[in-house]
Amino acid sequence: MSGVGRQYGVLAEFDTPADVMAAAEKVRDAGYTQWDVHTPFPIHGMDEAMGLKNSKVGWFTFCGGMTGFFGGNLMIWFMNSFDYGIVVGGKPLYSPMFAFPVSYELTILLSAFGSLFGMLFLNRLPRLHHPLLKNKRFAKVTHDKFYVVIETADPKYSEDETHALLEETGSSHLEVVKE
Amino acid sequence: MSTPTKNNQESRLDLSKWAGLPNKLIAIGLVTVVLGLVVPAWHKTFAYSYLTAFMFFLSLMLGSLFLVLVHHLFDSYWIVPIRRFLEHLSCAIPVMAVLFIPIALFAGSIYPWMSVDGHDHALDVKRAMYNPWSFYIMSAALFGVWYWLSNGLRSASLEQDRSGAASCTVTMRRYAAVGIFIFAITLTLAAFYWMKALEYQWFSTMYGVYYFAGSVWVTLATTYVIALVLKNTGHLAPIIQKGTFKDIGTLFFAFTVFYAYIHFSQYFLIWNAAIPEETFWYVKRENGVWWSVGMLIIFGHFFVPFLSLLRIDAKHCLPVMVPMVVWAWLMHYADMSFNIKPVHNPDGSGISFGSLVLSLGTMAGMAGLLGKWFLKEFLAHPPFPQRDPRVAETVGVYVEPVSASSSRGSGQ
Repeated sequence: MSGVGRQYGVLAEFDTPADVMAAAEKVRDAGYTQWDVHTPFPIHGMDEAMGLKNSKVGWFTFCGGMTGFFGGNLMIWFMNSFDYGIVVGGKPLYSPMFAFPVSYELTILLSAFGSLFGMLFLNRLPRLHHPLLKNKRFAKVTHDKFYVVIETADPKYSEDETHALLEETGSSHLEVVKE
Repeated sequence: MSTPTKNNQESRLDLSKWAGLPNKLIAIGLVTVVLGLVVPAWHKTFAYSYLTAFMFFLSLMLGSLFLVLVHHLFDSYWIVPIRRFLEHLSCAIPVMAVLFIPIALFAGSIYPWMSVDGHDHALDVKRAMYNPWSFYIMSAALFGVWYWLSNGLRSASLEQDRSGAASCTVTMRRYAAVGIFIFAITLTLAAFYWMKALEYQWFSTMYGVYYFAGSVWVTLATTYVIALVLKNTGHLAPIIQKGTFKDIGTLFFAFTVFYAYIHFSQYFLIWNAAIPEETFWYVKRENGVWWSVGMLIIFGHFFVPFLSLLRIDAKHCLPVMVPMVVWAWLMHYADMSFNIKPVHNPDGSGISFGSLVLSLGTMAGMAGLLGKWFLKEFLAHPPFPQRDPRVAETVGVYVEPVSASSSRGSGQ
């Protein structure tokens, strides 16, 4: 466990969105999996350039929404009809009509929770530290620079080849990021 | 086949063998009209089938007008490729006005309020709206206003094709800013006069927005398939993007929810208040076959499209979307029938042979007439806005902004 000084990955800096997009396509075509692109603002078409599939957050949203809808109905049926029946306005003890607005609100609430917590879970957030954050140069990612970072954890990673690939993409600056 | 060199873009869809279709449909429609007028037992069925078909196609026209209006209001770029054919669809007012003539002529036997003698409290309080003078003047005014609005928008758009002047965009925005209010009021009046008035005793302030939601929904479905066909024939190929389809699909999905929201709200408020003046409308629609049509609307108009379009990639998946478009037409027709036909068939006795023939025939005839008109208009003009300021953005090209000084020099 050498800890400090272990390589996290290699960082390549670019000056324009078009350069980083072209670089992402090359890295994608080279078959890397453990890598990411960091930009000051969202770039349209980047997910395709990176070969990213549709996010899995939608499934969390869907499950949250379903839970909200059926949970809401179940709650209203249990409270007003099964456990302690109350007649209101001559209506049935349980009807999907009056249960709907509340269930619908719960659908929205729980699907929003599903989206938020699903996103946090899939991004492994919150976390206290990330190796890139102590890299001085990387701070410019919030200003005017664009970065491709390939992690050493990638099965295809090899110091020479990965460096060569990133140099080929026309990066203006290459740097090894320490853990 | 004798000129193989002509088609080097061989993948293009060739629709020449379908060229006779509109005329055939018009012929079917004319036969239906004759049948409806000749067979005495079919008179009423014909009248209500005709009205249903009319309201169906009016939906397309008003829905198109709405999409053109919101395009200018939000200054959106994604709708530019499809705006021209929407402008043509919204300009179909003269055709719709001609199609309205039979309704105007037979209004006395279609709208029960026209033949109420003596006192009817439910009608007396609404006489300001429901009297023959109001009906005819208002109907004429609606067509007039729509004609002014849709043609104003289209002629500014066509003018921009020629001149490229930015002032045309400003003109269209002015039309849109005023037009959206006029649109909301006139659409509501149309839904009230021509559809809701069938049961004059009824109250529903949501009826206008209900017709609007269904109309834009079916228009978006139609837009999707027209855009797809025009892309494959090559007319829109230079400009239309994969994203355009995704955006139309997404808006269609949004209106699936919006329609359900509105229709549920209308039902829920009436169900909850349980006032006889309001509930009778839905009680009648629980009889016989109308119960099934109501269920079809709940599940087919909402749940089926909602669940199948939930995934983001479904919106540009053609095996999902193309059947969905056909399904949307069926559902909108079911919705229009649910609103109109119980007046004629309150017991919901099964679908008779006559009503099936007359429904299909009137739909075919109007589709043929509007299709023929649309093709004529579409082929007479450039297929998409040629010099809209947003064209470059639509196709994803970055255009260097002209600096202030040089634009002042070369402006006008």
